[in-house]
Amino acid sequence: MIETDTMQLHKLVEEALPELDTMIGWAAGEDPLHTRPIFIRSAESIPRLIWSPFCAQNLTGYLVKPPALQPADKNKQIGICVKGCDSRSLVALIQEKFVTRDRLRIFGIPCRGTVDWRKVMRQVRLSYVKSARVEDNRLIVDDAGGSHNFDLEDVLTRKCLRCIHPNPVVYDVMVGEPTVSRIKPEDLYRDVDALEKRPLEERLAFWQAELDRCMRCYACRNACPLCVCQERCIAETRDPKWLTQRMGIPEKFLFHFIHAMHLAGRCTECGECERVCPMEIPVTLMKEKLNKIMEEMLGYVAGLDPTAIPPLLTFNPGETGV
Amino acid sequence: MTDSNPYSIAAPAEAAEQGIKIAGFLCNWCSYGGADTAGVCRFKQPTDLRIVRIPCTGRMDPLFVVKSLIYGVDGVLVSGCHPKDCHYAVGNLYARRRLEVLKSFLSFMGIDARRFHYTWVSASEGQRWQQVVTEFSQQIHRLGPNPGVRRQPGENLKPLDGQKQTPKP
Repeated sequence: MIETDTMQLHKLVEEALPELDTMIGWAAGEDPLHTRPIFIRSAESIPRLIWSPFCAQNLTGYLVKPPALQPADKNKQIGICVKGCDSRSLVALIQEKFVTRDRLRIFGIPCRGTVDWRKVMRQVRLSYVKSARVEDNRLIVDDAGGSHNFDLEDVLTRKCLRCIHPNPVVYDVMVGEPTVSRIKPEDLYRDVDALEKRPLEERLAFWQAELDRCMRCYACRNACPLCVCQERCIAETRDPKWLTQRMGIPEKFLFHFIHAMHLAGRCTECGECERVCPMEIPVTLMKEKLNKIMEEMLGYVAGLDPTAIPPLLTFNPGETGV
Repeated sequence: MTDSNPYSIAAPAEAAEQGIKIAGFLCNWCSYGGADTAGVCRFKQPTDLRIVRIPCTGRMDPLFVVKSLIYGVDGVLVSGCHPKDCHYAVGNLYARRRLEVLKSFLSFMGIDARRFHYTWVSASEGQRWQQVVTEFSQQIHRLGPNPGVRRQPGENLKPLDGQKQTPKP
């Protein structure tokens, strides 16, 4: 199934390439568990393009984060591969006018979940991975030590285990067949609910323990497609000076508050921040809570309607109780 | 509050024995005037409040509240013009959404949301200002000093794990 999707993707890209300046997609990485981004400008690179459950990266950041992709020919479109979650980031970027819809050729790919290689490694210390594939609900990896078989539920990224938009919400071409959500909508915030049930002191202790590991590398901010302040990010500016270089827990809390509050009502939970965190801090959990607040308080879900205005960038004079 | 806190605010000698400090962010046009009215009318008020004057509650970045509470300010009070009465027409309507979202979010991160309160007081409501500030101050006194988010006092000044602190010559 995945192979046919990749072949279909090759065919579609080949047809579209004359009208495209650049095509952004995924290519094989250093081993079968990893993939890396690829920027295609000529037809001979198309066979390198792949789609697999290991294509975890959200590519939409390349459209806006420095050094943002600069098309050589401004009249041509930019092609981009998006999964369901990535397409929502794209909607948010279109909403806020960072990208224009008609400048993009969107190849939407229904996604059945991406594999978190760190979860795989935590179960079995793999070396020299030869091949990796997903069959039904199993992940099968062959490495120097033989063949290993994993339950997909144990190795999928956390964001994929709670994904309710596996199909792209915005696309020009769909690659493969639409798929169904893995969970029931009421389970969407189960991780948030689990933490919310604990008393205040335990929540503080939880975040103290998690954020204590933070080394303020700012990878979460850099990977986030919607963190668009660039060099004006108040976590780094000296004027205004919000944060010192001190490595205490208060500074770490404040940095994550800055990141989370600036994404309130904008975050589409693409999970990039959590995926890139070298210390495996559940960074997306904070944004999930904010999104839950947004949904309950203001009835807004980010990244679905390109014409909507994020709720904190607008107001309603008539609302009460808010 | 600890000695090592670089952000500690010097408290006036007559402040309550607990050393409670409350930061008040007041809009220039209504609540600051309201606080002034309360003063002119000689209404008795608690002395824990340190007032920061802001041009409008629309200027109120929720991160002001966050930073104050993280570094151990015991309470944060935000007050502005009543909705639809904003000097700049809509500033407080933006603020209302932001602050309400923040209020729900603070407790998720383990920070007591009862230490943060926002309200609306107009320039003529000296009496109401006295009531607001007294009630909030009483609430903060009941909660006691804010431990902040540090695990122990002066924590972030300690060396990393495994490193021995070299005695100063």
